[in-house]
Amino acid sequence: MGEDTDTRKINHSFLRDHSYVTEADIISTVEFNHTGELLATGDKGGRVVIFQREPESKNAPHIQGEYDVYSTFQSHEPEFDYLKSLEIEEKINKIKWLPQQNAAHSLLSTNDKTIKLWKITERDKRPEGYNLKDEEGKLKDLSTVTSLQVPVLKPMDLMVEVSPRRIFANGHTYHINSISVNSDCETYMSADDLRINLWHLAITDRSFNIVDIKPANMEDLTEVITASEFHPHHCNLFVYSSSKGSLRLCDMRAAALCDKHSKLFEEPEDPSNRSFFSEIISSVSDVKFSHSGRYMLTRDYLTVKVWDLNMEARPIETYQVHDYLRSKLCSLYESDCIFDKFECSWNGSDSVIMTGAYNNFFRMFDRNTKRDVTLEASRESSKPRAVLKPRRVCVGGKRRRDDISVDSLDFTKKILHTAWHPAENIIAIAATNNLYIFQDKVNSDMH
Amino acid sequence: MEFKLEAHRIVSISLGKIYNSRVQRGGIKLHKNLLVSLVLRSARQVYLSDPCPGLYLAGPAGIPVQQQQQSGDLAAVPPAGWGEPPPLSARAAWPETEPQPQTERPAVSDPVVPVSGTGDALQAGEAEAAWGRVERPRVALAGGGEGLDVFPEGPRAARRPCGCPPAAAAAGEEHRPPLPPAGCPRKRGAARVGGGGHAGCPAPGSTPLKKPRRNSSEEQPQPDGVEETGEEEMETGNVANLISIFGSSFSGLLRKSPGGGREEKEAEENNPEATEPGQICCDKPVLRDMNPWNTAIVAF
Repeated sequence: MGEDTDTRKINHSFLRDHSYVTEADIISTVEFNHTGELLATGDKGGRVVIFQREPESKNAPHIQGEYDVYSTFQSHEPEFDYLKSLEIEEKINKIKWLPQQNAAHSLLSTNDKTIKLWKITERDKRPEGYNLKDEEGKLKDLSTVTSLQVPVLKPMDLMVEVSPRRIFANGHTYHINSISVNSDCETYMSADDLRINLWHLAITDRSFNIVDIKPANMEDLTEVITASEFHPHHCNLFVYSSSKGSLRLCDMRAAALCDKHSKLFEEPEDPSNRSFFSEIISSVSDVKFSHSGRYMLTRDYLTVKVWDLNMEARPIETYQVHDYLRSKLCSLYESDCIFDKFECSWNGSDSVIMTGAYNNFFRMFDRNTKRDVTLEASRESSKPRAVLKPRRVCVGGKRRRDDISVDSLDFTKKILHTAWHPAENIIAIAATNNLYIFQDKVNSDMH
Repeated sequence: MEFKLEAHRIVSISLGKIYNSRVQRGGIKLHKNLLVSLVLRSARQVYLSDPCPGLYLAGPAGIPVQQQQQSGDLAAVPPAGWGEPPPLSARAAWPETEPQPQTERPAVSDPVVPVSGTGDALQAGEAEAAWGRVERPRVALAGGGEGLDVFPEGPRAARRPCGCPPAAAAAGEEHRPPLPPAGCPRKRGAARVGGGGHAGCPAPGSTPLKKPRRNSSEEQPQPDGVEETGEEEMETGNVANLISIFGSSFSGLLRKSPGGGREEKEAEENNPEATEPGQICCDKPVLRDMNPWNTAIVAF
């Protein structure tokens, strides 16, 4: 990877070129739909912006497949829990698309407490020629109606309508960190720090608790759930990760309550790396099944790991994302950076994995060639159709011209959320309040 | 010594984070606070285990450090946290079910709401106490017996490092550090924090910051090193109370706390002048006497 890539940066319309970023504009999640035609982003202000890929045009082949804004809507509003005297943030934690079953698109979006099912429909025709109403909708004077006409559908400018179809509320005491739609397309699960609930997409007043790790005595609490996902093909299997760095694969056929895992994936800690912060950096921030369903990808603070479902003892591959930070954990702890939750992604063929880092860098690892690359998502370094230049962080020793030293990394510029098109080499990178979409030129030339 | 300073610094930072998380938008984040408390515990272990004569304070009780150290009854001294443990009436505070030798956990910060090491349901007040327990260094018993009724301030610093090898402690090994000769403060039998195990020496703590708490009527929960119940519980040690707080509700202690929390909050609102950053007003005399650092924790 890292060869020629087209770049196209899309700004939200409300962004400006200031160094100051409105917190509400910070992107908090990015997700392609199952075909890759649509890309949804959620932000801290509770808004969802959906981008649609323009159909390729023969007239302008170099502009093929660009993503433009398709729809923007306010998904969640800030709420106040009066009972607990707590404000509930409107930040969108996760968006997951439902498989498309008709002309409409549907997605689930969630904040800390409430999940909503949104239906996105297009309207490109409207009826004209009513008998009783005129074009503006005002009632006609009946005396002027002399004949009957049949209303006809006339084309109109495309209008995208979004409506909340379901609201799944009051299912969680703790903060929801992930949602995942089941391959059966009927159910989905939502996970908070201590519990995982199973919902039916059509039923909002009831959910089943399938995992509960809350100890009887909260003083005994040692770990929390950090992420969870359904298996892409087996509707009975799901995995959840913990703050201790372990993964648990559960089979819903085994019991109604899946507290007891079917498989536990855990790597023993390396005692030589022990420090005050060992527990923090071993906490898994994201878990993703491969498209094949055979592997899982996990991200902790310093590494990404590939696990084989058939081997619980250790991951089959471990990639260092930014090991040079290992000696800086204390200052990262002070600045709260050590708590950043990076996500990870597979490409469509499960051969390359990607994750974000600091300084607006993101990393890709090719599992087959074992090569990796560091790229930067920034306005300065990416003009439209420019080729991304690999970056390097130098950790002392010889420093090449364009290297960045560890100490000059900007830790406020972090890439937490990335997404890879399900089939093509198109990636979406969220850098604070900017969304970058990069395409592999080689790939697009093949169309 | 460096380890001690580093550990102490980390402890201060962690406490600050926990304190700040109270006012965060969206409520307390369980995950982050769990991690912070784990760091807190590790740092505390290192701090306590670092055999550095370090900082000694002469307590108001005038008990020379040495005495404290040599106090044979340190076994009864609760494992120190850092800083100055408020005077404790451990015994009274501690749940009666606890065996004598284990009364190292002295007090509850708030006599009204005893903090139970053993997992009584934690309410806000307990949470405060729990915090105190977690954070406050415990004063070594001058010469007292098992039940510590009063912890003289002075000796805090004096707490002798126990013989626990710091590395081991830091590494969280499951081991029981040999009881220190004269100095090791409370080693609680089963209590091991974070699986690491060592009772740890009461930490002199942040010397410059801490004003010893002289209120003898007050009990302070022991810093967590010592876990109430078993190895397993040690894991969550000092976090326990913290977690309980979170567990009960994210509105934290302030709401739930019978008396303690609510009063604290009300006091806070009513007596702004008496409140400094980091210091929580509380109508309970106990809390008022606490030094700001400890108070912050308690308030949380």
